[in-house]
Amino acid sequence: MKTPTKDTSPDSAQSSSAQTSQRPAPPPLPENPIDVSQTHVVTEFKHDIPLTTCRIDPTGRFVFAGAEDFHVYRWTLSGDDSSKTLFTGHQSWVRCLDFSRDGKLLFTAGYDHQIGIWNTADEAPSPIQMIDAHKGWVRWVRVSPDGKLLASCGNDNLVRIWSIPDGKLQQEFAGHKRYPYAAVFHPDGKRLASFDLMGVIKDWDLETSKEVRSLEAKFMWGFDQKFRADMGGARDMRFSEDGKTLIVAGLTEVTNAFAGVHKPMVLHVDWEKFEHLHKWKDDAYKGMVWGVCEHPEGFFVASGAPQGGNKGMLWFLKPGEEKPFHSVTLSHCARGLDMTPDKRQLAVPQFDGKLCVYQMTARTA
Amino acid sequence: MRREIGCNRIDHQLSRRGFVAGSAAGAVAIGGLLTPAQAEAVKSGQKRILQVFLQGGLSQFESWDPKPGTRYGGPFRAIPTSVPGIHICELMPHIAQRMHRLSIVRSLDLKTNDHRIGRLRIEKGRTAGDFPYVGAVASKYLAPENPPLPGYLHITTRGLEDNTNAFLGAQHAQLKLLGVNAPENLNRPANLDEESAQRRNAFRRLANERFAGRGGQPAFTEAFDSSFEMAKRLMKRKSLFEQEPSAKDIERYGSHPFGVRCILARELLNNGATCVKVTHHGYDTHAENFNFHLEQLDEFDRTFCMLLDDLHDSGMLESTLVLVYSEFGRTPKLNQRYGRDHWGASVSVALGGCGIVPGAVVGSTNAEGTEVAEREVSGGDLFHTYFRALGLDTSTNHDIPGRPVPIGDPSASPIEELLA
Repeated sequence: MKTPTKDTSPDSAQSSSAQTSQRPAPPPLPENPIDVSQTHVVTEFKHDIPLTTCRIDPTGRFVFAGAEDFHVYRWTLSGDDSSKTLFTGHQSWVRCLDFSRDGKLLFTAGYDHQIGIWNTADEAPSPIQMIDAHKGWVRWVRVSPDGKLLASCGNDNLVRIWSIPDGKLQQEFAGHKRYPYAAVFHPDGKRLASFDLMGVIKDWDLETSKEVRSLEAKFMWGFDQKFRADMGGARDMRFSEDGKTLIVAGLTEVTNAFAGVHKPMVLHVDWEKFEHLHKWKDDAYKGMVWGVCEHPEGFFVASGAPQGGNKGMLWFLKPGEEKPFHSVTLSHCARGLDMTPDKRQLAVPQFDGKLCVYQMTARTA
Repeated sequence: MRREIGCNRIDHQLSRRGFVAGSAAGAVAIGGLLTPAQAEAVKSGQKRILQVFLQGGLSQFESWDPKPGTRYGGPFRAIPTSVPGIHICELMPHIAQRMHRLSIVRSLDLKTNDHRIGRLRIEKGRTAGDFPYVGAVASKYLAPENPPLPGYLHITTRGLEDNTNAFLGAQHAQLKLLGVNAPENLNRPANLDEESAQRRNAFRRLANERFAGRGGQPAFTEAFDSSFEMAKRLMKRKSLFEQEPSAKDIERYGSHPFGVRCILARELLNNGATCVKVTHHGYDTHAENFNFHLEQLDEFDRTFCMLLDDLHDSGMLESTLVLVYSEFGRTPKLNQRYGRDHWGASVSVALGGCGIVPGAVVGSTNAEGTEVAEREVSGGDLFHTYFRALGLDTSTNHDIPGRPVPIGDPSASPIEELLA
């Protein structure tokens, strides 16, 4: 990973070593502190087909993206376009990615109804296993906190739990009446949250295999009377590290589903009380929130795409506040968002095929 | 005529046994027994049209002309059909099992991206001018002398009002039915008994005769006459609108609006309608094209197939031309809302039934679906094809006094490969 204050090239290491023989090595320069107002692009990885999603592996070495050409691509975060590696095996778009806790396995959710399991770092990747996971699109995959289970959800309205690494079906949760868009494990590993097209959040108990409770977020769904169509669902969903809250990315105030006229929304849910904590929307920006992450310094980052034009957005939000405390205009529409393990960089997959990496600090002189 | 070749991995996931099972299920559902109305419809020898209009612009990629794995192909896969070599989108699995009853035209270039103009080019078979719709032409030339129902019925919930009959006479205009509701004022007012109603009608006819006798233009009274006649026919058949669909029909067709409209369409065809058009709304997918096609085609695919099965099993399909069409297709290139916009340059339609060669594919688009590659056809060509399939010579003139107006556009011609 490129950081503005570290030079880890072999030349610099040798040079540093030569100097140490003469005098003590200087202490490493302190890293620039997080300052989102200084957020800037550090790398642009290029692809010629629109991207569908992205994730950074737990070691921070690689960034992966799905593309509309049915493939998944891997780049080395500290590298350039020459590090691009093709993962081919799905027969449709890959919408969601996740990793084993040690980062050695990659899991891919495909619209070809399959989950793919891959070795993350293979030089010539091929799937270890392709699982016929759902009848219809697989929209989401997430690994459990202990790394032993994988959750998926799909267009058969089911949430399913698979064992890692053998990919065997362990549990099945039925109860969503419309497509579940995302499913994530609670950090305690005992519960699972899922969010469907109609804005229904369900809390599932992994020990009893039963639904514990259900919370409606109907404002993240709209029924277009003219076209008789439902529009809604989560485009991203994550628990906070302490498990006290859940954040969901999507849309609200659908006024014309078929023209994509709606507003972007981030919902913050109090998981213990199971109630809405805060609803953030941007009244001036018609479009969708495609990704959301929580930063340990107490703010959220969300990425979005507009209804018209092509200027995507990064919003920096403080819990409970109505307005973003900072925003960054992207070079094109965002299709997701992820954060490096050191919480200093963001990866944004875009509609124009670029995968942009942003640093949330000042530039290095 | 070109037939598709090649297959991919999913080809092997659907077996021929599955197709046979699907067809058998349809046959069992009907039980092979004709209602008296169906028996009469078959016996009458009348030819008729079923139009299924997918309003808004069905994506050709997500239906009849899939291009999986290509730049603009989208996320859906192609599946094999009951006709070896023909693949359609995975969103239409029921149609795939019945492909041997339909044919596809993949090379329609409407040369417009406008909803209204595209619709008119397919409905009228002309690029401009005041010409009658397919349904009005059917009403004029295919309906019996005293038809039991208005000749051209359109089941919809909205849509622009058009001069659908043009110069053919008001009795051939579209009668728009709002969903499955009976037309308004179908019942005689409670304070008007049958005898009084007859006397009022007799007086109206007398007034018309006097008007004509004093040199009045008959056309001025024809429209009123046809409205009264249409109302009388509908009043006699109002039970069609009053009966609840059976539980079995609801189970097969679906309880959603398109399901019950198709049940009504079947009943109207069974009872002597000449052209029934059913509109399924909701294909103008400028955003979320894939999620919406998933929803819309899930409704359309099964429901349409139940109607097709019923026509087939009653023997009426042989005398009924079936058209499935939109006002255009959708752009190859996706917009940033995962939408596809209007696209008239490479459109697909499906035809089947009376006079149509089944299981054929006419024309093709290029590898990425951006333009017609082979056998370009126009709305005018389709128009000729519909009526040639029904036995009407579209090179002749309309039966109207005073001016020769060709039924079909003289610059277009029927798609001979599709004609049985």
